[in-house]
Amino acid sequence: RYVRQLQRLQLLFSPTAADARGAREFVEEAAQDFARQHPDVVLYVSPRSGPGPAPVLRAEYLNGTVRDELIASKTSEEILQLATKLANQSGLDIIRIRKPFHTDNPSIQGQWHPLTNKPSILTVQGPRLQPQ
Amino acid sequence: LLLRAVRPLLAGAGLGTAPSTAPSTALSTAPPPEKKRWLRAYLELQRLQAPPQRRSEQPNWDYHAEIQAFSHRLQENFALDLLKTAFINPCYIESEEARRRQLGLDKDAVALQLQDNTGLAERGLRFARAYLAQCFEGAYPELPAKGIEALVNFLTGQELVSYVAENLSVQDLALCRDFPAPPDVLQRTFLAVVGALLESSGPERTGIFVRDFFIPQLIGKDLFEIWEVVNPMGLLLEELTKRNISAPEPRITRQLGVSTVLPVYFVGLYCDKKILAEGPGETLLAAEEEAARVALRKLYGYTENRRPWDYSKPKQGLAAEKAISSN
Repeated sequence: RYVRQLQRLQLLFSPTAADARGAREFVEEAAQDFARQHPDVVLYVSPRSGPGPAPVLRAEYLNGTVRDELIASKTSEEILQLATKLANQSGLDIIRIRKPFHTDNPSIQGQWHPLTNKPSILTVQGPRLQPQ
Repeated sequence: LLLRAVRPLLAGAGLGTAPSTAPSTALSTAPPPEKKRWLRAYLELQRLQAPPQRRSEQPNWDYHAEIQAFSHRLQENFALDLLKTAFINPCYIESEEARRRQLGLDKDAVALQLQDNTGLAERGLRFARAYLAQCFEGAYPELPAKGIEALVNFLTGQELVSYVAENLSVQDLALCRDFPAPPDVLQRTFLAVVGALLESSGPERTGIFVRDFFIPQLIGKDLFEIWEVVNPMGLLLEELTKRNISAPEPRITRQLGVSTVLPVYFVGLYCDKKILAEGPGETLLAAEEEAARVALRKLYGYTENRRPWDYSKPKQGLAAEKAISSN
């Protein structure tokens, strides 16, 4: 069955800073709906007062990856889009895909090895049998 | 460190403008001074070298919300108090009582009103074993009891269950004495979760849960990786006598590089001059053994090209499941 890989989202922002305005609007308007639509993600909203680091959306996944996304000077809709994108991701590292194709069955009839199409040494090659 | 760089620019601007605009309240409303530049590297090093802590001891943790999210993540309806008991391990209760005794509380306060998960774990284990055995008997009717037992032991063994539990965030929710939780604790907790599901939703849903989380772990695994068979030839002879087929005759089918360091022999097993199985090996004995294993795989129906497991909704066998769960 499908198990959402996102465990929890932590929204760390400052209640007074200017670049956290989008985060504050998100918390006021869209955060509750997001939490209702994704009941398997725990959403923590932690405002930290005073000049701290930039507002960040921290996503923790089931395999232990923690991903921080800056939400400074983003609008509420953009933050919602970002949150849905994180919710649909798995926690695997985002690295360059070496090949855009993969197959679990690289060979249907079996990979060739020097002994395919070679008759076994037990095959008897004698004169053709006469039909009775 | 990247994140912190954004704010000092604003703080510097704030500090510069605040005293000019609000001279009377400058002392109280000015933002506190930033950490010194030379101190930041040391604090970062301290943060990176700090020992790993439980997730429950780090900031932003709500146990009740996490438990609810856990039940939604597995798409199951749990009775929450049963689920909470499922996460409580006996080592946690002992350590908590020892800690309370050390703090000097009296006997009534020391005794915790918490229940263990051992009962739930036992029930979960029994149900999981019975259900998996029934599944395998249905899917591989030719497989003997020992093979089924080996498969079930592998699936309910410590490594696999603790691996599944790790990837379902059970290690964050489980209450136990040591951190990180040892694999037997995780196994017990996950089986207790299965037991809790059994109590709250009944055997059918629990059966579907066990099927969805345990059986995919068999993908890509070969039968004889899981089931240790010492004498495959003897086992093959027994199977063939059961089916009234004559004893197999091993013959070399192909051979390559006989006089080299790495020879390859293909030995075929023939019953009544008809081929049963063929297997490769480095020496003649190894090739014969491999051929016997291939023949056993074919007989038991556990080849690599068998039909994949059927995960569709179960229609029949419900009565059998209820019978199993009642033992």
